[in-house]
Amino acid sequence: MAAEDADTATFEDIDWDAQGISTLGVSRAGLAELLSYLGLIAAFVYDYTWNTGPLVFRWDVLSVEWLFIGTLIAIVFHAVIPLSQKPRLRAFYWQRFKKNQVAVVALGWLAVMFVVGVLGPLLIDPPTTQFTNQSVPPVGMSTTVGGVVKTGTWQYPLGTSAKGQGILTLVVYGMRVSMEVGLIATIFSVIIGSAVGAVAAFATSVGRGRIDELLMRYVDVQSVFPDFMLLLLLTYLFGSELWMIILLFGFFSWEGIARTVRGEALQRASEEYITAAEASGANMLYIVRQHLIPNSANSIIISATVGIPGFILGEASLAFLGFSDPTTYSWGRTIATGQVNLASAWWIATIPGVFLFLTVLSFYYVGESLRDAMDPRQEVDGGGGL
Amino acid sequence: MSEPLLSVSDLETQFHTDAGTVFAVDGVSFDVDHGETVAIVGESGSGKTVTSESITSILDTPPGEIVGGTITFDGMDLTTLSETALQDVRGKRISHIFQNPQNGLNPVYTVGRQIGEAIRIHDHGDPEVPVQRQVVDLLDKTGIPEASARVDDYPHEFSGGMKQRVLIAMALACDPDLLIADEPTTALDVTIQGQILRLLEDLQAEHDMGIIFVTHDLGVVSEIADRVVVMYAGKVMETGTVEDIFRNPSHPYTRALMDCLPGRGGSMDRIEGSLPDVTDPPAGCRFSPRCEHATEACRSGDQPPLWGVDNGDTHEASCVYYDAEHDEGELAGGEGATGGHQ
Amino acid sequence: MSKQIVNTESNAAESLMRVDGLKKHYPITEGVLRTEVGRVRAVDGVSFEVRAGETLGIVGESGCGKSTVAESVLRLTDPTAGSVYFDGEDVTAYDDTALKRFRREAQMIFQNPDSSFDPRMTTGESVAEPLKIHGVGPRSRRLEIARDLLERVGMSGEDAARYPHELSGGQKQRVALARALVVNPRLIVADEPVSALDVSVQAEVLTLLNDIQAEFNLGVLFISHDMGVVREVCDRVAVMYLGEIVEMGRTEDVFNDPEHPYTRALLRSIPTVGVESRGTDAGLRGEVPPPSDPPTGCNFHTRCPEVIQPDGYDFEQAHWRGVMNLRVAVERHGVDVAGLRAFVGVEDDASVSPADADAMKAELRREHDIPETLTDPSAEATLEAALDDIVRGDVEDGRAVLAEEFETVCEGESPPLDEDGTGRPTACHRDGAAAPGGDD
Repeated sequence: MAAEDADTATFEDIDWDAQGISTLGVSRAGLAELLSYLGLIAAFVYDYTWNTGPLVFRWDVLSVEWLFIGTLIAIVFHAVIPLSQKPRLRAFYWQRFKKNQVAVVALGWLAVMFVVGVLGPLLIDPPTTQFTNQSVPPVGMSTTVGGVVKTGTWQYPLGTSAKGQGILTLVVYGMRVSMEVGLIATIFSVIIGSAVGAVAAFATSVGRGRIDELLMRYVDVQSVFPDFMLLLLLTYLFGSELWMIILLFGFFSWEGIARTVRGEALQRASEEYITAAEASGANMLYIVRQHLIPNSANSIIISATVGIPGFILGEASLAFLGFSDPTTYSWGRTIATGQVNLASAWWIATIPGVFLFLTVLSFYYVGESLRDAMDPRQEVDGGGGL
Repeated sequence: MSEPLLSVSDLETQFHTDAGTVFAVDGVSFDVDHGETVAIVGESGSGKTVTSESITSILDTPPGEIVGGTITFDGMDLTTLSETALQDVRGKRISHIFQNPQNGLNPVYTVGRQIGEAIRIHDHGDPEVPVQRQVVDLLDKTGIPEASARVDDYPHEFSGGMKQRVLIAMALACDPDLLIADEPTTALDVTIQGQILRLLEDLQAEHDMGIIFVTHDLGVVSEIADRVVVMYAGKVMETGTVEDIFRNPSHPYTRALMDCLPGRGGSMDRIEGSLPDVTDPPAGCRFSPRCEHATEACRSGDQPPLWGVDNGDTHEASCVYYDAEHDEGELAGGEGATGGHQ
Repeated sequence: MSKQIVNTESNAAESLMRVDGLKKHYPITEGVLRTEVGRVRAVDGVSFEVRAGETLGIVGESGCGKSTVAESVLRLTDPTAGSVYFDGEDVTAYDDTALKRFRREAQMIFQNPDSSFDPRMTTGESVAEPLKIHGVGPRSRRLEIARDLLERVGMSGEDAARYPHELSGGQKQRVALARALVVNPRLIVADEPVSALDVSVQAEVLTLLNDIQAEFNLGVLFISHDMGVVREVCDRVAVMYLGEIVEMGRTEDVFNDPEHPYTRALLRSIPTVGVESRGTDAGLRGEVPPPSDPPTGCNFHTRCPEVIQPDGYDFEQAHWRGVMNLRVAVERHGVDVAGLRAFVGVEDDASVSPADADAMKAELRREHDIPETLTDPSAEATLEAALDDIVRGDVEDGRAVLAEEFETVCEGESPPLDEDGTGRPTACHRDGAAAPGGDD
């Protein structure tokens, strides 16, 4: 029945015996992603074993920054590239997202925070302690601090701290910290949560309900565990380096994502397109990768976005309480140091506070609007219900 | 002739969506009398469900909105009533039953309690008789075996057909004048469907109810209807007694619909083309783009008015071929469906 | 007529798929240890075959196990017992590699067009997916094949770039057919492919299925609850009830001369279009018993209007059915005597006066469609004795009297699916005997 047609490929032309049976192929994007991670790890190993000076020009990459670069690679390969390849899908989501105008403004704010936070510290020198410029008010204001009248200058547009550090510089470095905290912790909780949720759902679907039971009971225990106390204890015992705080956040906040993924995967597993793929010979790995995870992605993204402000606030709270890495310029720490001078130099605590507030609020708004735009339950709207 | 129980006149219901305004129901009129079953038949998107939901305004507003027409029930215009007054009508005079019996029952209460609630809320029934007794009577009346043993069962302990009987019992709790049944048997097996249809007929005779029966299934229509309203894309295509419609289907759409029914033993025709865009309906007769008899006259202007068929006063079709000035023979003589399939 | 069977056997070489004694039971478990306390007999021993170029319909009500048959023959679920032969090879014994090859040669179409496509994939990607699974590449070639196939099922090549929510139900089922065809299968299992569609669209999808089957000489296993649709597309039809096939034969034969009482009732239940036959009663009371607790003997005896009468009595068939209703109630779930007492207004502890007893007996007769007196005096005497026992509260005694006196072969023995009578496989004790009281 092989119809010979030189021009178009038809299914009758396929020589089935010549086709491989294996499905363990890795896509090109997957390969590129893998290579990126390997490159990152190689650079890390090099930097920590042989290299003594700054790695790139004058940038000595810190431990948190390694994690941050890894996170950015993951975001590029799992959000930026897929979205750029699907213009119609992108247009569809944007159409729905932009209905919420506050969220559009919030997204713009976050974009600025992100770009400035990532690039700023590369271009601006870290804040330095200068006792000659203590507690200078923002530009265009003058105030009396300790009997001395000080007037704001364009050298420090947002004023300086009690140690003479420029508030603007502190804010820019704080953006980096907030982005690092929010994104790295989220990536970790997404990875762990998705894995646990998917394994639990998979276990149920192949009749190993007890694994599911075990995992989900553990999730229950962890979700009622007072992790903030544990955090305080651990940072007290082992010091409060930023990377450790971030990882602790990531490891103690994936329960929600695990539950979401499990529920979503169980529900999707009964959809007919999953059965159709199975009936066509697809194995479990293929189904999980091609159907279950992409279709749970919306729920994952939504719960991840909603989780980010929690991490940022959590780190700020820890820093405010004094549990923070002295080498990082977290907004929380700036606020904490500024609060003692609140009466005389209000700007030290207030300006980073406003940035923190707006950033957290923006994440909430963007998360809400993403939920409206991506909620799978609203996705099929072919004008039904008539 | 006295006033009909319900009179729907020029009803227009629209949905305001992102994609534009959907003209779901566009000038629909029909009457329902006591003891009479009117079937509204059509395919998905025809507006049959929206019509039935417009009567007691149970459709979601927004996006839905009744923009025109009157719905006269017992002298009241339901389109102008306040929400409180409407609630009163919904509870005590007009009852609804729906396609999916699962959604109508609360899973955490026993069916007896839910029916009892319906009786108490509508404060109907004989205050001398204990509510429990009335509940058992209602269940018994709707053909649930061992009714007294089952009042304390939960909804999940009932099969689909039995749940639909429970919902009918709840609908009857207020002894309604009008029962609106939206595809009540579509989710049921065919052997159970017959039982429910017969039950509705018996109850109708007993209570002298009017019934509006919304369905896509012409077979069910021919079993239960007294009069039939055939809808397509928000418009009434043809209306008449059940004999009129099945012995002499007159609108080309009705004929096409009958010809494509599977399993009549003969050949199965199909309707070419697809349903019109509900936000931008075609000019002229809504069915004209798919109609094999359509002429230029059909494709311009508005939907033709309902012309009388064969000079009967019950049978009307919205088709230019039945315009008194038109030569009727052309369509009537054409091939197509004849009455009495199978 | 037994020649026909021999013929079928010798044609085994041509048969594409042969199912032999297929059973699928789902255990009902309880407690932490998950001890099995019962089984849902979803499919309880069915055998049939599908030949190349033939459509076999499996028809039955919901819960009869027809969809489980579909899943089992494609090994989407592992059968409890029985074998499925494809090309003479036992599918149930396949290893992963052989199973994957088999799943290229046998494809499936689903009921719900809305859920049978990944909402994130374009139709082109969905149609090309089976190719991807089977390692056909590269992507551009897969999409080219998909576009070609979409055109052949009446869509346009541009539709390949559209998403499922942009298509109508009928279009989606066309795409589903394209997805099934793309791996060049020899068997298609279609599980209610048109049930979710409007009638005017059903016709075009069924026509397409017929055309494609003829073009590629496919074997089709067509699962449906809709007798009309089955009549339209199937060459042969198997009627299922409670996990078993009760009748199987050529479609015209089954529709024109149904032999099993269940088939007859099913055909009578279809509302016919037209006012002539209005009000015909299918004669089927009650509901399908749960497959976790199927009746003894013939599965259908609890509802069968033609259930066989016991020896030595002469009932009107309708009256006998009424007595059987009472028997089934007593045997399967008991009689609610307390409810009956409440009905006639007798207090819980009070003894029943003769008048109350009569009222209760009358109510029992009414509920089970038994007339006030049976025409056969000896049957009436037995029934009355049993009713007396029941209203006294001795339901067990009443049950025993009824069971002993009114024993029927239908509840005792399971009828074999044999070719007595019309020569068609039918599982009924009446095989070959005429239906009582003519055709209704």
